[in-house]
Amino acid sequence: MKKKIVAATGCPTGIAHTFMAAEALQKAAEKLGVEIKVETHGQVGIENALTAQEIKEADGVIIAADKDVQADRFHGKPLIDVSVAKGIKEPEHLIEQILQGKAPVYYAADYDGAKQETDQESTTKGNNSKWVHTVYKHLMNGVSHMLPFVVGGGVLIAISFLFGIYSADPDHEQYNEFAALLKEVGGLGFSLMVPILAAFIAESIAKRPGMVVGFIGGLLASQGGAGFLGGILAGFIAGYIIILLQKLLKGLPRSLDGLKSIFLYPVLGIFLIGIIMKPIIIPVTGLNEGLMDFLASVQSTNPLLLGLIVGAMCGFDMGGPFNKAAYVTGTMLLAEGNLYFMAGVSAACIAPPLIIAFATVIFPKYFTKEERNAGAVNFILGSTHITEGAIPFAAKNPIVVLPIIMLGSSIAAILTYLFKVQVPAPHGGFLVLPVVTGAFQWVLAILIGSLVGAFIYGFSRKKAAQK
Amino acid sequence: MKKMIQPAYIQLQATATSQQGVFQTIADIAVANGIASSQEAIVEGLKAREKESTTGFQEGFAIPHTQAEEVSQPAIIIVRTETGVDWESFDGKPTFFFLSLLIPKSEAGTTHLQALSALSRALINEDIRQAMLRATTSTELATIISQAISGEDD
Repeated sequence: MKKKIVAATGCPTGIAHTFMAAEALQKAAEKLGVEIKVETHGQVGIENALTAQEIKEADGVIIAADKDVQADRFHGKPLIDVSVAKGIKEPEHLIEQILQGKAPVYYAADYDGAKQETDQESTTKGNNSKWVHTVYKHLMNGVSHMLPFVVGGGVLIAISFLFGIYSADPDHEQYNEFAALLKEVGGLGFSLMVPILAAFIAESIAKRPGMVVGFIGGLLASQGGAGFLGGILAGFIAGYIIILLQKLLKGLPRSLDGLKSIFLYPVLGIFLIGIIMKPIIIPVTGLNEGLMDFLASVQSTNPLLLGLIVGAMCGFDMGGPFNKAAYVTGTMLLAEGNLYFMAGVSAACIAPPLIIAFATVIFPKYFTKEERNAGAVNFILGSTHITEGAIPFAAKNPIVVLPIIMLGSSIAAILTYLFKVQVPAPHGGFLVLPVVTGAFQWVLAILIGSLVGAFIYGFSRKKAAQK
Repeated sequence: MKKMIQPAYIQLQATATSQQGVFQTIADIAVANGIASSQEAIVEGLKAREKESTTGFQEGFAIPHTQAEEVSQPAIIIVRTETGVDWESFDGKPTFFFLSLLIPKSEAGTTHLQALSALSRALINEDIRQAMLRATTSTELATIISQAISGEDD
C-alpha cells in the first residue's frame, strides 16, 4: 500500500515560496512513490485544505512554513516542522524522514485540549463529534489571540496599582502621571480583549472577512456590557454571517470576487452583526439592573446565600455582565457606607485567577509551558483584583472550568461574609490590605477558596490527561 | 486585463552587479512601463521582503517580490544580469536570473495571485527552468512564462 503524507506550506507574503514548496513536495512525493496532499497558506487564504479524515489517515505530516499553519490539528502524528526554504530545497529528504519513521510524534501545545476532544469523540459519534471539534477549534483560535492582550494589559494595570489605588485619578492626591499612563495603555489592551476574542473566533470560521465582522460584533458586546460570553456569541454569529453571505453571493460572476471581499462582505456583514447583536445586548443589560436590586436585598436576610450568589456571579463570566452587576452593586453599597458587601465581591473576583495560578503550580504536569507561564501571571492579576486573567483558561473549556471557578469564588465570598471582613476600596486586590478590617481573615478566606478550586481544576486536568 | 508579462518587462543583458543595482533595474522597468509610480517604493519594498528571508532559489534563480500601493497593475519583471550577484541562494551559487513579482496593494481578486503562484510552482520544474535559461530573446522568454502561468492553472 502506498504511504500517505499530508503537508502544509506557508510564507509571510504568501505569494511565491508557499507554492514553490508545495510543488517541490509534490514532485518529490511522485518520485518516491508516496501519496501526498499539500495545503497552501497563501495570500488568497488556505487552498487545498486538509480534512480531519486525511490527517487521520496520513502516515506523517510535513510542515514547511514560516508562519502559523494551525499545527494543533496534527496532534499525535509523526511530524517534521521546517522552514519553507527547506521544503523547497530538500523535499525528498523530508519525505524520507517520514518514511523511515524518524519523525518525532507531535504533541500540540494544547495537549489537554486535544485529549478532551478525543474523549468527546469517543462518547459522541459521527457528525456530533465533528461539530464539537469544530466549535472547539474556533474557540481556541479566539482564545490564543486574546491571551497576549490579557497578559500585556493586565500586568500594566496591576503595576499602576502599585503606585496607589487612585494613582490614575488626576483629582486624587495619589495621582502619578506615569501610573496614569500605565493604566491607560494597559486598559486599552484590556478593552480589546473581547473584540479580539470575537474577531478570531470568526476568523477561524470564515477567514479574513469573518474577522472584520467578528471584531465589530465583539466591540458591540464589550461596549454593551455583554462581556466575554457575549464576545463568544458575537464571534460565532459573525463567522456564520459571512459563511451565509458567501453562499448567497455564490451566483455572482467571478469578476466580482474582488468587490465581494473588499466591499460586499464587510458592508453587509457589519450591518448584519449590528442588527443581530443590538437586540441581544439589551436584555443582558436589563438583566444586569434587575440583579443589582436583588443582591442588595439578600445581604441583610441571608449572608450564606449571598456569598454563594456573589461568588457564582463573579466567577460565572469574570468581567462580564454578571460579574459587573455584583461589582457595581458592591461599589454603590460602598458609597452608602456598606463595607461588608464589597469584601465578598472582591474576594470572589480575586479567587478565579488565583485558582488558575495555584492549579498550574500544584499540577504543573497537566499544563503546557505556555499555560504555566500564563498561570504565573495570574498570581499578579489575582492579587490585584483583575479577574479577567482566568478567562483564557475558562474559555477553553467553559463547561468544566466555570463551575469550578464559581465554586472557589463562592467559598471565598461565603467565608469573607462569615468572618465579617470590611473592605473600603472598590479595587486593587491585596494592595489595599492595610486598610482592610480583618485583613488576615480575608486573605485566609480567599486562599481557602482558591486552593479548593485549584485542586478540583488540577484533578480535572489530570483525569482528562489520563484518559 | 493587461498581460502580466510582456517583452518590454524583460531585460536580458543587465549590467547590475549588486542587490541594490538589481532592484534599481527592476524599479526602472516598472516605472518606464507604467506598472508603478515610484522607483523608490519598489526598491524599498523589494529590500524589505529580502530582509525577512532570501528570495534566492537555486541554479542562479531568485524571485524578489513585493506588494505596494505604488504598484498600479500586477506584473512580472525579469532581469538577467551579465554577472552573478550574491543572493544567499540555497545552493550558494551566485544569482543572475531574477523573476520579480510586483503586486498592487489593493489586489483583492485572486486571479493574479493564482497566476503568480503558478509561476512559482513552475520554477520547481526543471524543464521550464532550462527553457528559460535557453531563451535568447525577450519575446521568447515572455512566451515561455505566459505558458507556464496559464498551463499550470488547473
